[in-house]
Amino acid sequence: MERRTFLGGAMAVAVVGHGSRALAQQPPIKIGMSMPQTGGLAGGGKASLLGIEIWRDDVNAKGGLLGRKVELVVYDDKSSASETPAIYAKLVDVDKVDLLFAPYATVPTAPIMPFVKQRGLLLMGNFSFQVNSKVGHDMWFNNAPWGPADSWAASFLDLAQKAGGKNMALLTADQEFAQNLAVTARDVAKKRNIPIVFDQVYPPNTVEFSSIIRALKAAKPDIVYVASYPPDSAGILRAVNEIGIGDSVKIFGGGMVGLQFAAVMSNLGSLLNGVVNYNTWLPEKSMYFDGTKEFFDKYTKRAVEAKVDPLGYYLAPFGYAMGQMIEAAVAATKSLDQKGIAKYLRENEHKTIVGPIAFSADGERKETATLQAQFRGVKDKDIEQFRSSGKQVILFPDKLKTGELISPFEAARN
Amino acid sequence: MNKRSHSIAFWAAVAVFLVAVLTMTQIVRNEYPFFAGYVILQFIALAVAWSILGGYAGYVNFGTNAFFGVGVYTAVALFKATGAPLVVQIAAAAVVGMTLGFGVGLLTLRMRGIFFSIATIALAIIIETFVMNWRFVGGAAGIQIQRPPVMAPFDSYVKMLFFVQAMLAVIAVATARYIQNSRIGRGLQALRDDELAAECTGVPTLKLKLIACMISGALISAAGAPAAMYLQYADPSSAFNLSYSVSALAMALIGGTAHWIGPVLGAILLGSTQQLLAVTISSEVNVLVLGIMLVLFVVGAPKGIIGLLRPRYRLRAGGKQ
Repeated sequence: MERRTFLGGAMAVAVVGHGSRALAQQPPIKIGMSMPQTGGLAGGGKASLLGIEIWRDDVNAKGGLLGRKVELVVYDDKSSASETPAIYAKLVDVDKVDLLFAPYATVPTAPIMPFVKQRGLLLMGNFSFQVNSKVGHDMWFNNAPWGPADSWAASFLDLAQKAGGKNMALLTADQEFAQNLAVTARDVAKKRNIPIVFDQVYPPNTVEFSSIIRALKAAKPDIVYVASYPPDSAGILRAVNEIGIGDSVKIFGGGMVGLQFAAVMSNLGSLLNGVVNYNTWLPEKSMYFDGTKEFFDKYTKRAVEAKVDPLGYYLAPFGYAMGQMIEAAVAATKSLDQKGIAKYLRENEHKTIVGPIAFSADGERKETATLQAQFRGVKDKDIEQFRSSGKQVILFPDKLKTGELISPFEAARN
Repeated sequence: MNKRSHSIAFWAAVAVFLVAVLTMTQIVRNEYPFFAGYVILQFIALAVAWSILGGYAGYVNFGTNAFFGVGVYTAVALFKATGAPLVVQIAAAAVVGMTLGFGVGLLTLRMRGIFFSIATIALAIIIETFVMNWRFVGGAAGIQIQRPPVMAPFDSYVKMLFFVQAMLAVIAVATARYIQNSRIGRGLQALRDDELAAECTGVPTLKLKLIACMISGALISAAGAPAAMYLQYADPSSAFNLSYSVSALAMALIGGTAHWIGPVLGAILLGSTQQLLAVTISSEVNVLVLGIMLVLFVVGAPKGIIGLLRPRYRLRAGGKQ
């Protein structure tokens, strides 16, 4: 009898022990992605990845998703479109990841869109531009604040027209992103009967802009819309500083890539003043939501070690937000069923550290949340100044606005 | 073994290889090996095609990416305009690549050595700029392509592309092998060692160089053509990526350029290392590993893998040893 009790007890312990071990040993939820860690997009890719890693650590500290730890499976796509198909095939067929995130930027993402559509997989987009417009995948959700394709140019031209702008000059780089912007800018201008008095496309590696800026100045435009890449953004602003742009110009900027990154901003310093440019997140009072401040506290510490952009406004919080949306959808649907998660993401508004996000049918934001902000009172050689509010005053969208446009451009430069 | 039994062994190996590839597409369900294998086969074709001009004739072509991109965009333009099937896309790309090769061949009239190499880099930049401004094929923004339905006996398009690329690699290897053993190959080797002396002894150097450029160009462009359907996307910066030139050259050098098997070995070694590193180390380190490999081979095995394996190739490759 005694022996039987002992045996029974031992068995019970064994069963309970086994059960609890099984719970603890549940396999992690794997989220797979490629990320540009070498090549031209690496700077952005690493910052974005850090944002996603901070989310992973936060969610794991809270006990994970569905009681399982979250693990990231990340491969380097070398910023190239030709690497991603093999990587995503490996993630899906060999690593058997549970969920997919897209790599940062349009070019590496474009080749995997048909693949995920064909396989019926959910893909969380990471700052691509109109990559789903032709593919039409209904399980694609972009974390970027772009919104409808023409909203980018439309918001800039709204501001310009309010300031009395009647004709436009276009200065655009011959590159994928800049040309996408240029096309929409021309369309919007045509719809609104704004004549284009100057339309210059320059080759990507141009460094000397004085002749172009002289020609632009001679056209006496009211609105100057620039879509440029980091090295040329700097070259254009230097040329404008040397030659001037004329008193006719009411507003200058729009789509200059590079002016979002700490290194470029501190390098250009006071040359930035007056420029109105797009951005995604800025340290203005209207931009703080639940958890935003905590996120940047963590980011600022880890950015030093990870050797990424010390400010990290442009991409990192959106990487975190991408994780938050998945977290909410998995918690609500209580499963990893991708169709269910996609349905939830499509039908609900999601609270994130970059504000509420709602999607339209094409998986882009319902409304644009791309900021147009004006640089003011920027001094030379000081990264830290960009952490305080007031250096980039938000003019658009109205919900997030923190100031009014100073116009004309020459007046705003001082 | 005499020449005839060599030939029989070669074609038997080719048949076994193609049957194995076809069987693999029918049996293996996991698609990743086909995605990765496609890239390795593509590099075999590129490295072998490159070595026809760069190895046999000694004209170092840095413009592999130009020919590759031309192949990609010929396929894209043709597919968009007429919806032409894959075979037609590849054939058209080969014709365009051959024409471009003829142009490059004419360059060799005036330029040799480093000057020729620089001119081929310029060629790639010129063509890329042209494509960037060609709106019909998407311009700088790139273009997304919808694949047509897959043909029997394949159940997925990637498997079919894998088989097609295997065929292209075989065609490239067979061509290189034929050239190596023919009058053309011996003529090219002669002009590599001393162009003036070759011309004086009656080797038709210009004609041979033109032939080598055209064949090499046609093969590279043909190998590039299926890339449009593989990626279902084409953009100038990826299609004309300098890494194609660097990889093709590195693979041929690591394998050894004296024999057609050299670039094949180099492409398999380097191509699979690249694929493996992309999904293991996956950071800046993988670029470093490839760099170190190249340096080690250049220093330790100047005649490549085949130079290490078979000392007699060392004599043939060097010519003067």
